[in-house]
Amino acid sequence: MVQTPIRTVNRQQRAFNQFLAIFSFLAVPLLLYTVWVIYPTFRTLYLSLTDWDGLPGPINFVGLENFQRLITEEPFQKSIVNNILWIIVFITVPTSLGLGLAMVLNTEVKFDRFLKVAYYLPLVLATVVAALVWARGVYSPREGLLNSFLALFMGDAAYKIQWLGDPNLAIWSVIGAAVWRQVGYVMILYLAGLKTVDAEVLEAAKMDGAEGWTLFRYMVFPMLAPVTTIVVVISVIDSLRSFDMVNIMTRGGPFDSSNVLANYMYLSFEDYRMGYAASIAVVLFAISLVFIFFYLREVMRQEEGQ
Amino acid sequence: MKKWLLVALGAVVAGAGAAAVMAQGSGKLVYNSNGSDPAVRKFDEEQVARFQKAYPGINVTHNTVDHEGFKTAIRTYLASDNPPDVLTWFAGNRMRAFSERGLAADIGDVWQKNGWTKAFPKGMQELSKSNGKFVFVPTNYYWWAVYYRKDIFAKLGLKEAQTWTQFLGLCDSLNKAGITPILTGSKFLWPLGGWFDFLNMRVNGPKFHFDLTDGKIPYTDARVRRVFTYWRQLLDKKCFNDDAASLDWQDAAAVMTAGKGGMYLMGDFIRDQWKDGLEKSQLDFFRFPIIDSKQPVGEEAPTDGYFLPAKAPNLENAKLFLGYIAGKENMEAGVKELGRLAPRSDVDASLYAAKPQIGKAQKTIIDRADAIAQFYDRDTDPEMANIGMKGFQEFMSNPSQLDAILKRLEAARARIFR
Repeated sequence: MVQTPIRTVNRQQRAFNQFLAIFSFLAVPLLLYTVWVIYPTFRTLYLSLTDWDGLPGPINFVGLENFQRLITEEPFQKSIVNNILWIIVFITVPTSLGLGLAMVLNTEVKFDRFLKVAYYLPLVLATVVAALVWARGVYSPREGLLNSFLALFMGDAAYKIQWLGDPNLAIWSVIGAAVWRQVGYVMILYLAGLKTVDAEVLEAAKMDGAEGWTLFRYMVFPMLAPVTTIVVVISVIDSLRSFDMVNIMTRGGPFDSSNVLANYMYLSFEDYRMGYAASIAVVLFAISLVFIFFYLREVMRQEEGQ
Repeated sequence: MKKWLLVALGAVVAGAGAAAVMAQGSGKLVYNSNGSDPAVRKFDEEQVARFQKAYPGINVTHNTVDHEGFKTAIRTYLASDNPPDVLTWFAGNRMRAFSERGLAADIGDVWQKNGWTKAFPKGMQELSKSNGKFVFVPTNYYWWAVYYRKDIFAKLGLKEAQTWTQFLGLCDSLNKAGITPILTGSKFLWPLGGWFDFLNMRVNGPKFHFDLTDGKIPYTDARVRRVFTYWRQLLDKKCFNDDAASLDWQDAAAVMTAGKGGMYLMGDFIRDQWKDGLEKSQLDFFRFPIIDSKQPVGEEAPTDGYFLPAKAPNLENAKLFLGYIAGKENMEAGVKELGRLAPRSDVDASLYAAKPQIGKAQKTIIDRADAIAQFYDRDTDPEMANIGMKGFQEFMSNPSQLDAILKRLEAARARIFR
């Protein structure tokens, strides 16, 4: 009876010490995080309500004017439509291709190591390099790989195709190059996922007569569900982040036909429209937040499950 | 006696030496430059080295920043409490954007001390002032013209065009010979600014053009619309390469060096695209053809130079640096090494004679000009320039969209210049 309060004090003391220890370990990263992430986030929110042009002097507060303009202006509309196209393509094409490759390479295939590396290699390449290779080497109308190949069937007319210069083609060409890069990434994620699929369960299913498509459809794919969620969310976030491919290959042109939000934001910064660019950043942030929420929830659920 | 004299003499010499060091400045100097192109960079380093030799007391830090990146970075420099002491920059609207906010130091004393008011022509002096004060000093400029393959022209018996009709004729002849008449690369938009500037100045005169770039005239004005009818004639005759939007300006120049294109509206820096001295036998230029002979003639001659941030920590050293950079000797070195036009009128004329293109440009373009423009993206607001040039690019793809395009440009103008 007498000892109880002492123990409580001890416990409190210990809890406090523990807190102190944790805090002192966290202090440095927290400080860095505050300076480099939290402060800039709020600063951007604030700037999005101004018409600041990057020069010293008083900053004009304009309320929601930037956002009103965003909605009415064509470059923003085109950018957001292109971002949506990008998302739709990204959660379907590289995802299924990557899954297909993973399924094939997970079985006993000759040269599977080489093939895995080969498919993954584009991702190792810096995006800027990949973008330049596609813009200069593949899509270039006069000497690009694609038109030279098409010329075998179409003759000289092929050299007239402007993969990046035609406003109707540009965004598809850029997304095409981005898909090429993404497939290997998705493949690796699924390959890792397939390693966790319980072989005994599959064995049992085979005993019950499931094979081929049925085995995949009703056994493997459902068991890959957590991976699929992550792949889809990553694809969406990558689509929203898409910037370097667009900036290098087309700069969003011709006349914004291949622009995306991140690149439009960057070009606005270049025009010294800091406030306006900040408002694009806020929109992008808001959209990303929704998907990041799903992603984190899925990751946390998996970690708790283990 | 002798010893005493020696000591006295020594003291005098030492004193004079000390005084000289004082006059030549001491301490630090930070110079940020946008001269990132190889040739320019080499010259830039040389001029800093020469300055350093003349002023050994000053410790110069020279930073070279990529030309495009510099345009954004400069705002960060100016926002800082400790900016670089000397910055490269562009005359015109781009300079006014800073000077009107009091971000550029008054360098009237540098102009006076170095006698520049006598050495620079009036036009250049006006270009260097803001609200009557000197804030800028020009160090070089170049001209824009229609560049052409003179070997191809000679083979086809073609002549430089003086008038619009002759120009259209060149277009037909080259097309008939299977050569793309006019090249341009609009991936980075700005080459189209040159087309708009020249057409507008030729059709409506330079005064109208400056009013437009100053935001005083709506883009929906019938006179602006008329400019595009001339542009349209070139499109209808298929004068331009049809892959312009896929190419940057150098890609398009490569088509010309390969002998597949005839003409290119460009600044004189196009010369650097020719290697091994081939430009001597292949490259020549003529003044943009006259459309309305009643209009005064405006030309494009973008001017580059220097200014000092108002908060420059080593202002006195910076002024010494400017005095050297824009001095006669250094500018003559620039003419010799870079083939630049020097804005000073007292530059040794024999140097120009050694570069035939400079003589030709002076005689046929600059001396005949009634007005000089800086270029679309330097004369107007940067955002307006970008929206405008995007509009020009769209016009070249879809000329039928002209009305919608002009309406959009007008909406932007009304907002930006409110």
